[in-house]
Amino acid sequence: MTNVISNNNIKCTIALAGLQDVLDPEIGLNIVDLGLVYQIDFDEEGKSIFCSMTLTTQFCPMGESITSAAKESLKLTFPGYEPVIELTFDPPWNHEMISEEGRIFLNER
Amino acid sequence: MFSVAGNTGSTKTTSYKVVLPFYAYGALSFLVACFLLFFTARTSGVHYFTPHNLAIVHTMALGWGTMMILGASHQLVPVMIEGKLHSETLAYLSFAFAAVGIPVLVYGFYFFDMGPYTQWAGLLLVLAFLCYLINLAVSMVKSKHENVHAYFVFTAVLWLLTTAIVGVLMVYNFSYHVLPKNSLDYLPLHAHLGIVGWFLLLIMGIGSRLIPMFLISKYSNNRQLWWIYGLVNGGLLFFVFIFLFALSRVFLFIPVIAIGLSIALFGNFCYKSYKARIRKKVDEQMKVSLLSVLIMCLPILFLIIIVIGLMTTHYGNLNVVISYGFVIFFGWITSIILGMTFKTLPFIIWNRTYHHLAGKAKTPNPKDLFSEPVFKWMALVYVLGFVLFTAGILLGVPFILQAASALLLLSSLLYNWNVLTLFMHKSQIK
Repeated sequence: MTNVISNNNIKCTIALAGLQDVLDPEIGLNIVDLGLVYQIDFDEEGKSIFCSMTLTTQFCPMGESITSAAKESLKLTFPGYEPVIELTFDPPWNHEMISEEGRIFLNER
Repeated sequence: MFSVAGNTGSTKTTSYKVVLPFYAYGALSFLVACFLLFFTARTSGVHYFTPHNLAIVHTMALGWGTMMILGASHQLVPVMIEGKLHSETLAYLSFAFAAVGIPVLVYGFYFFDMGPYTQWAGLLLVLAFLCYLINLAVSMVKSKHENVHAYFVFTAVLWLLTTAIVGVLMVYNFSYHVLPKNSLDYLPLHAHLGIVGWFLLLIMGIGSRLIPMFLISKYSNNRQLWWIYGLVNGGLLFFVFIFLFALSRVFLFIPVIAIGLSIALFGNFCYKSYKARIRKKVDEQMKVSLLSVLIMCLPILFLIIIVIGLMTTHYGNLNVVISYGFVIFFGWITSIILGMTFKTLPFIIWNRTYHHLAGKAKTPNPKDLFSEPVFKWMALVYVLGFVLFTAGILLGVPFILQAASALLLLSSLLYNWNVLTLFMHKSQIK
């Protein structure tokens, strides 16, 4: 699993399990193993989830679809919570962020 | 506690409505060019400055190569410059001017009518490229991110505009003598401004961004890319200087070496990107695109033979000159477009059809929106047709030319079939 910052590690693990269904359509690898998810925080009072993530390329033509899918996944995993996706390019994505599982997947393809 | 932000606006990309007309136009132009080649194949080795050959070359260079590249680059400019495209209206204007200008120009060449319609068609193309140049320049200024790829694209469009202006002057020269010499004398200048300045520079600029991206490669080398940029532009400027000041033909070797070296460096860049790729499996589309990098060596080889011929006999070998043009337009440019179409268009169609369903329903993979077997057959038939036609020109055998042109026509039909399949795709999700 990748190093994702969170204020609730248990819920973060559950969220990441759901986000593993969100694939980068070009690469075919999920956004968690690709290392696109940086931070997932939970606001219990406001019933909201803050997810900071990136894309492999800024202005990626599939960017909006990927962030929409991530938002839907969090909604599905945590009903009653309102997910907010923040797209950041600081730090920019690089190949070192791909998890070991992701590397095995890409080498096998 | 955390701060809340909704910053998905920075993923905003160019609308598919802007891009798709360019792709449709390009695909149809490829079909038209292959039809023209098929019906004139037996005489295509006579001379390069024949009405039919001029019509085919301009259908390939403008309708196929330029329209496809303009379509793809309107989509990819945001990725290249890390900023939004300035104006979709200017993009529509580019398309409209070019879409009207190209067939009128090709018609003018086919019947060798250099009258007002052909002149106006040339001016429309200048306007189309000017719109794109302005759009690109403002987008770059707004983006504030500087990168080598953006300079490649911008300089390439400047050369494209120069090529078009020289071309228009050549057309007017048939009626008004606006140039000191015959239009035919300016053909090498016009052709190389377009081939080297526009196609080579642009394909290297976009290719050096896309090839590592699609291969998921760790390799990057901006220093090498700046060298390539300098060698191509320096070589071309020196060629223009030789041409305008009528220097000895011996000097022609300098731009040939500079541009040959840039191609070798670009080949090295692609090879190192390939070796450093994380995704081991390379798909068929990328294989066809990488084939074009190999094909780039052929024009340089033919050019060296032509330059040696010019220095020794003052005339280039006609078969080699025609082969030189053929491998550029039907080989190098066509193979990269055949591959890259199916690396980009399926995603554009997917976004059009399934964007609103992302994460809400199981959607097909973009790669499943076209037929992989048809793509493989297209690639096979294309390679056979290309190799045979090149051999047919060099050997001067009309039968081979006819058979090879039939194969190229078949490959263009298969290509259009897959493009049409993509365009007609409708969501299967209720």
